[in-house]
Amino acid sequence: MSNTFNIRIGGEAGQGLVSIGSILLRAIAREGWYLFAHQDYESRIRGGNNYFQIRLANEPIATWVDKLDLTVSLDRATIGRARKNLTEDSLVIYDPDVFRNEELPFTPGENYIALPFAQVTEELGQPRIMANAVAAGAIWAFLSDDFSVLADVLGELFGRRGAEIVEGNQLVAKAGFDRVQGLASKRQKPARPEHPAERILLSGNDALPLGALAAGLKFMSAYPMTPSTGVTEYISRNGRKASVVMEQAEDEISAINMAIGASFAGVRAMTATSGGGFALMTEALSLAGSAEIPIVVVNAQRPGPSTGLPTRTEQGDLTFAVAMSFGDFPRAVLAPGDVEEAFYLMGDAFNLAERYQMPVVVLSDQHLADSYTTVTPFSVDRVEIDRGKVVSGAEGGPDYLRYKLTEDGISPRLYPGFGDGLVISAGDEHDEKGHLTEDGEMRRKMVEKRMAKQKLVEEEALPPVICGVEDPELVLIGFGSTKGAIAEAVANLNERGTRAQGVHLPQVFPLPASLEEILTGPGEKYVVEGNASGQLQALIASRFAWKPTGCVRRYDGRPINACYILNELKGGGACD
Amino acid sequence: MTKDIGFVTAKETAWCPGCGNFGILRALSRALEELELRPQDVLYVSGIGQAGKTPHYIAGNVLNTLHGRTLPTATGAKLANGDLTVFAIGGDGDGYAEGGNHFLHAIRKNVDITYLVHDNQVFGLTKGQASPRSDQGMVTGTTPAGVANEAFNPLATAITLNGGFVARSYAGDQQHLTRTIKAAVQHRGFALVDILQPCVTFNKINTYQYYRERVYDLDQDGSYDRTDRKAAWEKSWEWGDRIPIGILYQVERPTLADQYSGILTTPLVRQERDTAVVHALVESFKV
Ligand SMILES: Cc1ncc(C[n+]2csc(CCOP(=O)(O)OP(=O)(O)O)c2C)c(N)n1
Ligand SMILES: [Mg+2]
Repeated sequence: MSNTFNIRIGGEAGQGLVSIGSILLRAIAREGWYLFAHQDYESRIRGGNNYFQIRLANEPIATWVDKLDLTVSLDRATIGRARKNLTEDSLVIYDPDVFRNEELPFTPGENYIALPFAQVTEELGQPRIMANAVAAGAIWAFLSDDFSVLADVLGELFGRRGAEIVEGNQLVAKAGFDRVQGLASKRQKPARPEHPAERILLSGNDALPLGALAAGLKFMSAYPMTPSTGVTEYISRNGRKASVVMEQAEDEISAINMAIGASFAGVRAMTATSGGGFALMTEALSLAGSAEIPIVVVNAQRPGPSTGLPTRTEQGDLTFAVAMSFGDFPRAVLAPGDVEEAFYLMGDAFNLAERYQMPVVVLSDQHLADSYTTVTPFSVDRVEIDRGKVVSGAEGGPDYLRYKLTEDGISPRLYPGFGDGLVISAGDEHDEKGHLTEDGEMRRKMVEKRMAKQKLVEEEALPPVICGVEDPELVLIGFGSTKGAIAEAVANLNERGTRAQGVHLPQVFPLPASLEEILTGPGEKYVVEGNASGQLQALIASRFAWKPTGCVRRYDGRPINACYILNELKGGGACD
Repeated sequence: MTKDIGFVTAKETAWCPGCGNFGILRALSRALEELELRPQDVLYVSGIGQAGKTPHYIAGNVLNTLHGRTLPTATGAKLANGDLTVFAIGGDGDGYAEGGNHFLHAIRKNVDITYLVHDNQVFGLTKGQASPRSDQGMVTGTTPAGVANEAFNPLATAITLNGGFVARSYAGDQQHLTRTIKAAVQHRGFALVDILQPCVTFNKINTYQYYRERVYDLDQDGSYDRTDRKAAWEKSWEWGDRIPIGILYQVERPTLADQYSGILTTPLVRQERDTAVVHALVESFKV
């Protein structure tokens, strides 16, 4: 992976990091590079130290790296935090004015370039708020000789705010670009792809709602909670165009129950939340299980317990998401590993929910939610809509039974008002018609009918996604947002002569039966996951009575990358 | 036992003989008949409690949901299919205790549904504990020394929030209740009907006789102005020797569906995925 170039822009909350980030992402992608960008931010509105990190390459990449090639520091803290990731060749652009009369904690020179962002802006008669464009210009000088690409992007992103703002930003960005030219011209520019393909640039929090729209979402209700809020806001902004109602609820309990009401009436409905909000939704998930009402819930994980680390990442809700609620009922839990999977798995989530009339949880996390990648444009036509068994008109006549006992456990749905029959649903135990019953025999039949569906869900569980060699000596198994990190670790190992294989599980419940072949196949097995207790390991162990060789776990709130996995493997990765 | 009249379908119910719920069931049936509604076009979303069982005894579509969650569930169903006449039905515990937050926000949102609260001032199904509506001093399984808290006033709360239709009726007055339910259905927006409902088993204070002696019709002399919010709010506090029933307050406000007018001209449930729009949204991520 020598042809990747890694940039960090660090500063305080409120200094416009996301704005520089989006400008650069767009310019970089437009120039043909592939990229992976992730964000590290604190749970506050001003101050602190946040960064936006962009890794670009001449071939597709799916994770981040530690080593920084170029660091831009708008505040004082960024340099200190970046130090352990710097090498001899690393460059740091810093603002001398933020250190005022203090002694600099580094030696200025070839590797540390002073650029007084605010001062440059003011000298050009522009407001200080544009200082971040100076930084963007300076970064661009190390990527390209052609300033016009950046100028165009600034024009597009600020166009709505008028010509004066656009020109001001372009002016100061050019100043930043020119100021570092002396050094930049001596450095080799990152290699570009030979045949740049058409791509889109988006984050997990863009891809999930976009996938839901592609799947025919019609109703969403949610209560904001980081890091799921991006999903909710995307549908709020764009839902109307696709004729989707997105209603902000008074709490998560209301959010999921509204969505269940809408689904019962016959539309595809979802909600999105994070750990604590998901906990509030659990009673309603049980209702959906009992009343057999399809529902899709996106749970964007963040580190718990409790409100934990609101803006950071973890995969600590797996056990909880699988357990989901009280009582026995069928369910599925999906865990997209990247932006592309996030889009397409939403289609699977809705199809599963409607085919089996049950809740489906899509596990995201802050790392997937907030990370951007360049991918092949999604095909909306590839997202097939299967609404399951639904009757209307004569078939939904006066004899219609909402919970008709059938061989496969699936009773055809009728949307209320779409036939002469009446749709009677209840969370309390019910008979075939839907009326309440306490009859033991009927209860047994209804339990068996519901659980029969679980078997079918398992039969069509999504297969593991495999990378690396076919006859491994080492196998890394993970789910969700570790997909890219595992793939890169596997590539690294293979390059260095260890025959390695990566196994990503896009569906964590029910697990696909085919996983057993891998578990009992060749190679030492390590389970890689972002939690302390080894929740994926426990899940696999409970299903297949199996024990791995070892494990790699992370629970400091930071995302796993290839380097982390490789270091942990070297350190033994002791496993319980 | 209920007589098989109109919309009523049940031969048997899980209610105690003499329960105020029978009066509510009959009045609801009569109101639906008089409104000439088809059962297929009616949806009852109900909670858990003795009140929540009502929809199982009457013709229509039913979603018998969780304790306290009738309002959000009904809201979602109504937004998905505006062609349905949607009722939310539950007890005073369901609506004012477990679902209290939803009550506030359903009023604010002004979703076009009719909310029938079977207000027996007690938790019936769980066998007689205090509810937020229990009179002070009432001895129950959880308040052996008598209820200390002041009773919740749903009408004053709804009027405070500028609820569009705020009414009280009485399970023992068929005509009044039928008329009030009809008016509630015809009202465009969220319509609250708090129904005084004697619980013959667990509430020995607010009995049929108690109400017979106190309840009076607000509209009996034709002088009550239900558009005067301040007066309505004051009226909502009248309780004790005299208890007013009728529509305390009524005002037309934009409904929740009006916020989505561009989208909901055809009910959501009759709309398909707009592939071209989604495709354009994908394209918007091109660099
Ligand atoms: C989450 C939850 N908490 C508690 C209960 C137990 N519960 C069932 S009904 C009820 C109260 C019933 O009172 P009310 O809503 O006034 O209905 P009523 O039976 O009086 O008609 C309670 C506490 C429940 N079903 N669910
Ligand atoms: Mg009650």
